[in-house]
Amino acid sequence: MKKLYFHFSTKLTFDNYVHDHSFALRCIPPETPSQHILSCELNISPFVSAMQTVDSFGNNVTSSYLKKEHRYLDFEITGCAEIDCIAQKTDFMPCYSYQSKYTKPDSALTEWYSEISSGCTADDPFERIKFFSDCLSEVMTYEKNSTDTATTAAEAFAIKKGVCQDFTHVMLSVLRMDGIPCRYIAGLASCDGETHSWLEIWTGEYWKGYDPTNNCDISDDYLVLSQGRDFGDCAVDRGVMFGAYTKQLQLIESCLSESSFY
Amino acid sequence: MKTAELNKELYSSPVGNAEEINELLRRYGVKFGIYKNGIFKEQLFPFDPIPRIITHDDFTDMEKGLVQRVDALNKFLFDIYHDKNIIKDGVIPENFVYISSGYLPQCEGITPPNNIYSHISGIDLVQSKDGDWYILEDNLRIPSGASYPLIARELTRVASPAAFSSNSIVDNRNYAKLLKDTMDYSNCGGINAILTPGRYNAAYFEHSYLAELTNSVLVQNDELFVEDNVLYHKTYTGGKTKVGALYRRISDDYLDPLTFEPQSLIGIPNLMEAYRSGNVAIINAPGNGVADDKGIYYFVPKMIEYYLGEKPVLKNAPTYLPFYEEDKEYVLKNLDRLVIKDVAEAGGYGVIFGSELSDEKLENMRQTIINEPRRFIAQEVIDFLDLPILDDGRQVMRKADLRAFVLSGEQTKVWASGLTRFSRNPDSFVVNSSQGGGFKDTWVLSR
Repeated sequence: MKKLYFHFSTKLTFDNYVHDHSFALRCIPPETPSQHILSCELNISPFVSAMQTVDSFGNNVTSSYLKKEHRYLDFEITGCAEIDCIAQKTDFMPCYSYQSKYTKPDSALTEWYSEISSGCTADDPFERIKFFSDCLSEVMTYEKNSTDTATTAAEAFAIKKGVCQDFTHVMLSVLRMDGIPCRYIAGLASCDGETHSWLEIWTGEYWKGYDPTNNCDISDDYLVLSQGRDFGDCAVDRGVMFGAYTKQLQLIESCLSESSFY
Repeated sequence: MKTAELNKELYSSPVGNAEEINELLRRYGVKFGIYKNGIFKEQLFPFDPIPRIITHDDFTDMEKGLVQRVDALNKFLFDIYHDKNIIKDGVIPENFVYISSGYLPQCEGITPPNNIYSHISGIDLVQSKDGDWYILEDNLRIPSGASYPLIARELTRVASPAAFSSNSIVDNRNYAKLLKDTMDYSNCGGINAILTPGRYNAAYFEHSYLAELTNSVLVQNDELFVEDNVLYHKTYTGGKTKVGALYRRISDDYLDPLTFEPQSLIGIPNLMEAYRSGNVAIINAPGNGVADDKGIYYFVPKMIEYYLGEKPVLKNAPTYLPFYEEDKEYVLKNLDRLVIKDVAEAGGYGVIFGSELSDEKLENMRQTIINEPRRFIAQEVIDFLDLPILDDGRQVMRKADLRAFVLSGEQTKVWASGLTRFSRNPDSFVVNSSQGGGFKDTWVLSR
């Protein structure tokens, strides 16, 4: 068990005024057996009233509507959590057994799966995921800006490049083909300055995390912000706005630390 | 008396002049839009003046069966998005539910007002030559078509008042009240609004007509917004009015770009949060597609027994699921005389008659079924009752079906009318309006 201080902020700026801006944030970490939230503060600027709900996947959703004209939207969370990655989460949903929008394999990914699975002799799902993740690390390389948030598992696998979102999607696709229920996790890990993503597999009784990008088990240095079938369910922020803007720029900063920031 | 025993002579005479009524329909803008090769074309939905007649006895049985079916489907939807007992008890195989594109995990755990998911259900039936009614499919998303018999009746009453004074026909103009009562019953406080994607939608006439009849506000998405998890309509003076029930005529995928398809330009951001918070009823509820999936259809009679402990009053058309080994064998062997339906398609698309396929195409179909058994259902071709229609002033017999409208408010009620669609092509069994068919008024006799 570890006590972690977290900080996460995004700054969204537009090159012209926007208005009627509706957004939904999934950035307040959920309280679960493996993470006890001691404090969490959310600030949104410009100031606007916001509502809290919990979605069907168990995520905290902050929704809001900024009617007035504005050229930026900033939000940040700051807080402290006790992480115990061994404690067991049991919130299963049957949809996690099935392929979803981002994880649906194409024929190349299906073929690759049958190739690697024929070489896998382990029965234990966790041994299998390690095996598959080793195989993935051999064929796919981490490369920033090689993909975007709309890239599917099949598309990333085709170019054999991607970021954590893509590694996670490809692994989810493979695991679901293998009959292992699994879900996408968006969160913060080891102070890499951005959001991270990894996955959890369902052992039949509880969830167990794995980080395919770093090809390692998860530890008490991982804070979950949201979970779902794939990135589509987990995006930390989604928004729709009107106005004559042509560009938007998003800056993200995140930090996890064992000592307080103050 | 059964419909099949009706005096044919008496009940096959045209009511009013077809050309006149079609001209009036055209002037009223009763049109049907279709996209063909990417081009939007509006066409008249041709009206046939010979009404379909359903006897009082037939309707009473049908009514019982439809109420039972829709009640079971509503209970199924509640169960699927909550405890999933029907799966746990092994009545429906798990993957039939979760593979269905209509199943939306984003709706898990949401309870709509009064537990009603399908407020307006369009159930398609056909009558066989021996007089039995068979259910062809359930439409629980946004079934359209009620406005056509409604306005046709309005016009034929004017054109031929004698036909209505000398026959005992149930007045069908109560649809507006049924619909309004249904919206009011689920309304969470506020006005009723009908959301249309706009005038280029195939059913735009219907959206505007129903809004007028039910005294609802007809809106497009840019007139609505969600603030503090409440859905509001922007008023002309810059104010806002709370919307308590939204009869939306756009599909689930486009409903809320922050929950579903992010590219949607016709949805309302954060509508799902307002709905989840119990501040607005969405009519029909999102996620209903899981219950009118063609693969789930097979299980509806089982649902009726499971949830209501009753025997189904209305029969399904004999259906086979290639997903089951035994059924697959039967389907592959009898493919040349069965109807094959692609479960993902709607509107008469993806319906294939084995008898019309060449040997080569039959063989391809067999391979496709073997490769993707879950994708198809197969049905026996029902020899259904032909109805008389006027073709260039000559009476000819054509295939027809009936879309019955069932409304679920405080009680579940069947509208004593319905949309009878017929195929204008003598060799076709497909009656969908998007495939160029026509329609008739449907008379239910009051005694």
